[in-house]
Amino acid sequence: MTVDTEPKAGIASNHASDETIVLEHVSRWYGNVVAVNDISFELGPGVTGLLGPNGAGKSTILHMLSGFLRPSAGELRVLGQSAWQNPEMYRDVGLVPEREAVYPFLTGWQFVLQSARLHGLADPEAAARHALKLVDLEDAQHRATGGYSKGMKQRVKVAAALVHRPRLLLLDEPFNGADPRQRLQLMEMLRRMASEGHTVVFSSHILEEVERLAENVLVIVAGRLAASGDFHEIRRLMTDRPHTFSIRSSDDRRLATALVGDQSVFGVELDEEWLTVKTSDFSAFTVALAKVARNADVTLFEVLPTDESLESVFSYLVQR
Amino acid sequence: MNPVIIELTLRQLISKRRTLMLVLAALIPVLIAVAYRLAADTDFTISQDGIHSAHQEWAASTLLANLVLATLLPLAALVFGTAALGSEIEDGTAVYLLSKPIPRWKVLVSKLLVAWLITAAFITAVTVAGGAIALAGQPTELTRSSGDVINVGSGYGIIFGFAVATIVGSLVYAAVFVSLSVATSRALVVGLIYVFLWEGVVTRLFTGTRVFSVRQYTFALAEELSGVAPGVFEARLGFSAAVLMVVLVTAAAVWYGVQRLQRFEIGEAA
Repeated sequence: MTVDTEPKAGIASNHASDETIVLEHVSRWYGNVVAVNDISFELGPGVTGLLGPNGAGKSTILHMLSGFLRPSAGELRVLGQSAWQNPEMYRDVGLVPEREAVYPFLTGWQFVLQSARLHGLADPEAAARHALKLVDLEDAQHRATGGYSKGMKQRVKVAAALVHRPRLLLLDEPFNGADPRQRLQLMEMLRRMASEGHTVVFSSHILEEVERLAENVLVIVAGRLAASGDFHEIRRLMTDRPHTFSIRSSDDRRLATALVGDQSVFGVELDEEWLTVKTSDFSAFTVALAKVARNADVTLFEVLPTDESLESVFSYLVQR
Repeated sequence: MNPVIIELTLRQLISKRRTLMLVLAALIPVLIAVAYRLAADTDFTISQDGIHSAHQEWAASTLLANLVLATLLPLAALVFGTAALGSEIEDGTAVYLLSKPIPRWKVLVSKLLVAWLITAAFITAVTVAGGAIALAGQPTELTRSSGDVINVGSGYGIIFGFAVATIVGSLVYAAVFVSLSVATSRALVVGLIYVFLWEGVVTRLFTGTRVFSVRQYTFALAEELSGVAPGVFEARLGFSAAVLMVVLVTAAAVWYGVQRLQRFEIGEAA
């Protein structure tokens, strides 16, 4: 598919029209292992999701954006400046790392206040109070973070990262460990930030999270940018791709014969245990299968989609 | 230096477990000094040649040099030096410090300052307490059987000399170990090898290597500043060389640590 590198019109911001993030042919490798391979994109204000399976290179991209990894090749600019060896950049950038670790001996309040003080804010107490309110952690703010649940740790990390109201907020798998209510709250807060003109970039390997939050999506597979742009377009491509089902029934041979005549099926394969069916239309096939089986007087025992892993979905996108 | 980082590092380092272990370790030389004092019933020991060994020699060579300067000081500096920044790098919390608009040299120097001060405070207290117990009330001059009067040094002088050597040595060791912890995740192991293999064995076998031993710098400072008589305690490195190396090694370690921290990268696992 065509890679769309333009930011969405719907996520235009109060900030300058300059792109917040620009990557031009950026690669990163570790010895012989290529983690990110020749990626180019530009992002402006709004919420952008980095979507891809584990190990795809999402964290590597976020680490390069946050100045914690040097690109092996290519050019990377954040807010018009190089991210590498540039601590001044953090005046406008906040980072929520994936790792759960926080200082266990600090309370939530101390942790966020410390972040505000390290940023040299004029009124660190007010900033910390505001940040903790945003993530709905006021009730637990005076407890040591060592006793926090995973979801609470995520939220206190987010509070510490946005305490200075950064123009760019980078979040690495921010919804890990959060319960559904916390997830919704966090999403709502990030949407609000985006509507105020901030640029929010988060990574996730869960399609539904990206679907709910991101207006703009970058699909990363095996270190490459497989697709980018509007989520719904990418989702349509994912749904419309060919699917394979493994079926066990009372009479696989008769069912195979009957299915070949259906418009949604373009291939069947029979072996001793399973009937494998390939379809070009996921929803039409699932509706047709039951009818075809009933008409052929065949009882269905098992129907298993065999290629529903995110990896296979992404592989398909790469091939496109 | 950054006061927020200093405060945070102090809280990190003075954990109950670590402090308890160090207090217990620090008690060892103090208890040995008490035991020595209780057991020694004369002002000096006498060999066939006359006065062979004064209490000053035992306190300087055995207690303060071998036990405190050569063993306790590097171990304490290793524990605090590698934990000051290395533990944060290890568990991933260093990102919270490094993702702030603070020059990396300020981060490293703040960490070093805390590691140095805690190490120096603990070990200097041990030096002063152990030295005072061993040397309080001991004569500073002794007469040989030949009639010669020799100055074996005052207890105050020895305590002062070793205390200054401890403070300076803490700085050099802390600088080396803090920087080492930025360079490698195995800083503790490398540090132990340096202390016990390099300083303990190699520098004894090959005299030319002593110039690269922090232990020898502390010995040289202690000898010079103690004002002890020759034979009571002798360092194997000259005072001037030691001062020069203290400055050079500390500066080089800090420079290297800052360079490494400026190029700090999060590993894939992080």
